[in-house]
Amino acid sequence: MKPDRRQILAMGGGLCGGLLTQRALAAAPVEVIEMRGTARGERIWFAPRGLAVATDTVLRFVNRDPGNSHTATAYHPGLFDRARRIPAAASPWDSDFLLPGASFDVTLTVPGVYDFYCIPHEMAAMVGRIVVGAPDDPGWEGTAGPSKDVSQAVLAALPPVNEILLRGRIEEATR
Amino acid sequence: MKLSTAVLAIAASMTTGPAFAHEEDALTASPPGDPYVQVSDVLPLPEFLPGLGTLFVDPGTLPAGPFLSYDHDGRLSATVYMTPLEDMASGTAYDGLGIGSHTVSGVDIYYNAGHPGVEKPHAHVVLYHDEDAKGRLAE
Repeated sequence: MKPDRRQILAMGGGLCGGLLTQRALAAAPVEVIEMRGTARGERIWFAPRGLAVATDTVLRFVNRDPGNSHTATAYHPGLFDRARRIPAAASPWDSDFLLPGASFDVTLTVPGVYDFYCIPHEMAAMVGRIVVGAPDDPGWEGTAGPSKDVSQAVLAALPPVNEILLRGRIEEATR
Repeated sequence: MKLSTAVLAIAASMTTGPAFAHEEDALTASPPGDPYVQVSDVLPLPEFLPGLGTLFVDPGTLPAGPFLSYDHDGRLSATVYMTPLEDMASGTAYDGLGIGSHTVSGVDIYYNAGHPGVEKPHAHVVLYHDEDAKGRLAE
């Protein structure tokens, strides 16, 4: 039995819907955060060090420092017993050490503020802050407060949330 | 990081004592042999570090070293020391350190914010062993 016009249109609609769904999945936004350093390692940093993204954005950490290895590690009790500085409902991540040119992807689905650090360079305040979504999003959790777990230098290096939301991205600090 | 520290601790426990790198002939070509280990084998670092070359160290001498620096052809090119600034300010001195070669053509000293193995901000003291060494280690 031949399909009628309505059935053909329905099949076409389903086909288009499938393609759109695939395209939407393929087009999931990707934001790159680079790990950078000077040639002799005098300074190291995340670029950007502050970034605002929509929920479900893929964050790609890429080591662009030819002479050093870096990590991107969330502040969380499940990772090296650190005080939590990401939303309670979020899953922590640790890229492990990335050699030059290597990368690591993570998708953040819970709105709120995420602070992360580089394990071998936290003492040099190599830290960053990602703001996912906006404060009026359901489930949003804002900035973690001061803690003895992190140094004043680290806290000072984390950009304010309102500045990140205003500018979208904040590059290397002027030092 | 914890794994790396553990690996170094194990390696350090296997050494027989401080290494004073005065046996020059034994160190001129890579690998220098016991008690030195290749840094990139025990720490998450590239095999060849631009500016520092391929490094070997006796884990028992960390953090200061000496780190023996070899070029791409395995030729000893520099001896490097890494001295944490905070420790020095607290009174730690690094005396009697070994050296890869008694021939030194130049010295560079510069700040480093840290890296796996020596994570505290520290100074790199680089003793080049011939006039072309710096160029060979550059990249």
